[in-house]
Amino acid sequence: MSHQTTRTFACTALTLGLLALAPDAHAGNGKIAIKAGRVITMNGPDIVNGVITIEDGKITGVSADAKAAWDAEVLDHPELVAFPGWVEAHSNRGMDRPNENVPVAPFLDVRDSIDPISFYFEDSLRAGVLTINVQQGNACVIGGQGMVVKPFGLTIEQMLVKQGSGLKLVAGARPGRSRATQSQELRKAFIDLRQYLEKLVQDKKDGKDYARREALFQGKDLEKEENKNGRALDSKATWKVPGLEMIPRGEIDDQKEPLLRLVEGKLPAFFYCDSGSSVSLALDVARTNGFLANTVLVLEGDSWKAADVIAEAGVPVVLSPNLTWVERDPLTGKETETFVPKVFQDKKVRFALQSQNPSAQSLWFQAAQCVANGLDRKAAMEAATRTPAEILRLGKRVGSFEAGRDGNVVLMSGDPLSVTSTVQYVVLAGNLVYDRSKDVRMKHLMNGVEPNNTSPGGAFVDGSSHPCNDPPKSDEKAKTDKGEKTPEEKPHDDHDGHKDEPKKD
Amino acid sequence: MRLPPRGTTAPWTRWMLVLLCAPLAAAQGSAPTETKPEAPTTLFLRGEKVIVRPGRVLENAAVLVTNGKITAVGTDLVKPDGARELSAKVLCAGFIDPWSALGISGDALRDAGTAPSTRAVDAADAFADEHVRREALRAGVTSVRVQAGTTARVSGVGALLRVAPGLPMEAMVIEADAALGMSIGLSANASNQGPTFEVVDGQVIQRDRGSRGMDPFDRIADVDRVTSTIEGGRNYLVSKNEYRHELEEWQKKIAEKETELDKEFKKAKKDREKEEKDAKEKGKKFEEKKYKEDKKPQPPRFDEDSEALAQVANGDLPLTVQVHRFAELHGLLAGTEKQDRLRLVLVGASESIPLATRLVERQIPVILAPALNGRGAPDELEAADLSLPARLSRAGVTVFLGSGGVDPAATRDLPLLVQMAIGNGFDRDQAFDALTLGAARLFDAEDRVGSIERGKDADLLLLDGEPLSSAGRVQYVISAGRIVVTPEG
Repeated sequence: MSHQTTRTFACTALTLGLLALAPDAHAGNGKIAIKAGRVITMNGPDIVNGVITIEDGKITGVSADAKAAWDAEVLDHPELVAFPGWVEAHSNRGMDRPNENVPVAPFLDVRDSIDPISFYFEDSLRAGVLTINVQQGNACVIGGQGMVVKPFGLTIEQMLVKQGSGLKLVAGARPGRSRATQSQELRKAFIDLRQYLEKLVQDKKDGKDYARREALFQGKDLEKEENKNGRALDSKATWKVPGLEMIPRGEIDDQKEPLLRLVEGKLPAFFYCDSGSSVSLALDVARTNGFLANTVLVLEGDSWKAADVIAEAGVPVVLSPNLTWVERDPLTGKETETFVPKVFQDKKVRFALQSQNPSAQSLWFQAAQCVANGLDRKAAMEAATRTPAEILRLGKRVGSFEAGRDGNVVLMSGDPLSVTSTVQYVVLAGNLVYDRSKDVRMKHLMNGVEPNNTSPGGAFVDGSSHPCNDPPKSDEKAKTDKGEKTPEEKPHDDHDGHKDEPKKD
Repeated sequence: MRLPPRGTTAPWTRWMLVLLCAPLAAAQGSAPTETKPEAPTTLFLRGEKVIVRPGRVLENAAVLVTNGKITAVGTDLVKPDGARELSAKVLCAGFIDPWSALGISGDALRDAGTAPSTRAVDAADAFADEHVRREALRAGVTSVRVQAGTTARVSGVGALLRVAPGLPMEAMVIEADAALGMSIGLSANASNQGPTFEVVDGQVIQRDRGSRGMDPFDRIADVDRVTSTIEGGRNYLVSKNEYRHELEEWQKKIAEKETELDKEFKKAKKDREKEEKDAKEKGKKFEEKKYKEDKKPQPPRFDEDSEALAQVANGDLPLTVQVHRFAELHGLLAGTEKQDRLRLVLVGASESIPLATRLVERQIPVILAPALNGRGAPDELEAADLSLPARLSRAGVTVFLGSGGVDPAATRDLPLLVQMAIGNGFDRDQAFDALTLGAARLFDAEDRVGSIERGKDADLLLLDGEPLSSAGRVQYVISAGRIVVTPEG
């Protein structure tokens, strides 16, 4: 663990009192070996008594007999299960004032909205979600660019996994608009781009023609100018802008440029659809403007009804957090339930799951629901690990264990899909960033341990008036206040059925 | 609106008739062979009576449907191998509701923020109102013209859509640009009745109708708004054309200038060299000669709303205006008199009887939704009783009937409404034409739907009696070549 990160941890603990982190004994050479009773690789069969070795933030080996370097720090937990961590393909949480107002804002970047100290990230870490694509603007037309982060760090730079993960587009009607007017605005954004580019080219041409005539008139030899700076429009769109090679890309308005990158397939699209009919619109806009191959549909409502169209288009989807669709027949009053992931599995559409909330109904819960509703375990697990990683084009970095991937490991007390399992340790990029036995909030919530210096004005010092505090025995309380360990603090004895989050909402 | 006069047959129809009598084996062979995964099957439909088009009937004939299209119609067709055979007493084209609220999402229907370029096809919802769609199909209505923002002053471009639920987009849309819609003097835009309440998902939502009632001045303003909007489209068209001419002229001038400049370049170069030398000798700074030329004309600012309106002004797109009261009808007719290319279609037209002659003169068709109005219905609908279609049509006006564009479920009752209009004196043949080929023609879709003719989309009904009679029940409905209704359900 580097010096800087250690300091960061100190900051975290001091300023926020969120997590007590990083065991004291650290080699500090960036080498760590994790031994677990079972290693779920998400990349072939599980390994019994496996070892994951990490160096400089990257995995160097995963096997039953991998040798840890002599100077590596070793996390030896034969009673725990190692797992690559969940991947959230789309989230509109963890932001301070996300853009939901400026309707067409391809130039906005969510990095300006992400709030590193949001509880969302803390909760995600505790639930073993290690990679999160934060996207804003479900109530816009073009909401801005997203960013993939890990749920740890005090600055965006520390959290960064990948910038420019994709542009959010919205096919469903935003408040105050109907499907018709929303579509109109969406299509107009691309018509505007095209006309803007055409005008740039035309003005350039006119300018050159004028310069040539002027030179002829003045008897000047015009030096030959090469179109060296520009680049032709490279897009599968149904429209073309001939002559764009004349325009150096630097001359293109920054506000328009992300949309151009989208059209050229250099920026993925996260297309938010709120219903089956908005899926056709999204696919049509993507096709017309040449970015169908880079489109991911983020589905809500009855969008699953368009599964056939989606399968034909061959685009992956991020499913609504609500996995079961209930519909009442208006004539018979009969209710029918549809389990949405099954629909997409049957149609062979690649799908990723989305958390319902960051804690109790996080990705593990969604995957477990899939198993409960008849999907096979592998498909369910992949929908929250490998598939979202691939959707985010991070398949070579996260979502499974293999040499060369990011050194992210979750150590769990049991099977990741079990309701009684809890995340005990999290290693992110080779750094131990979470230890449940030192999780201040966990201690507070589960055992009533009041962390030092966290009660403003000492209001809850005696613990009696805190609304969510189990009234602790007075002698126990006294002990904890002195910072002594309570007996229940052994992490993996925690099979009390609480999972890890008492604050369900 | 220029409809070909009734009774004449277009050349292609005559060719059709020849074809009908000829053996059609060749037609089967040349049927399109491309197969899509969910391609509709080949259908062989027999009828004791096939109403090919209004006024043209074949006895004991058959219709071949391949890949969603009608590929042959005739009395001596042979059923191809593998085709599914259905038979019925009567075969006729599916009905078209030219003024419907079915098939478009409710929020778009009520949207008050629509503009001329808002397209109903963008709000087409193949998954909504499934049970209502099925009932409409069972009643024989296979396609509808819908409009976003029905009560907005400018509703945008309406679309002709298929009713059958769950169709892929390309099968659902028959004509994406059917007509541009506007409205004048609707009580929905007024508010002397206070707010309205609507139940959405079990929750009561209050909708304010605005602060003021729709008084005569508002209505005059409405008329003026419609006429000036169209005028705006026309001006845009004119300025576009002017720009084109100006540009051509400028280009010509510049081309001439260029040849001239090219010719004189050597001289210009010599002059320049001399001047440069002179300047150097005199120790002065050399100054370039100022070049002047005519400024390039600038195109009118692109505006998608004006683009749509220009199409209307040019007659490329029909204009449907929902207007009911005499004063507004009169104002609209007066205000659009000089728009000679405009294809105006009046929708509603409750009090249009006194204007019938002018409608005939200007060949303006009307779409009516007559009903027995109970108490509380908006006053503008009072004159739209069941005899209105008959009276207007007897005066020579081309009359269409629609379900009123408010309630999606009303589309189911359109055939019933038409039967009631027939009972009140509306000519049966005209009624059938209005529901089929006439409506298709109204929205430039006569090459796709409206009759059972070779090359058209297979949208047809198999009935056990005459259409538009109480004895004629719909047995099967074929929509885009798919069997969407069977006697079982």
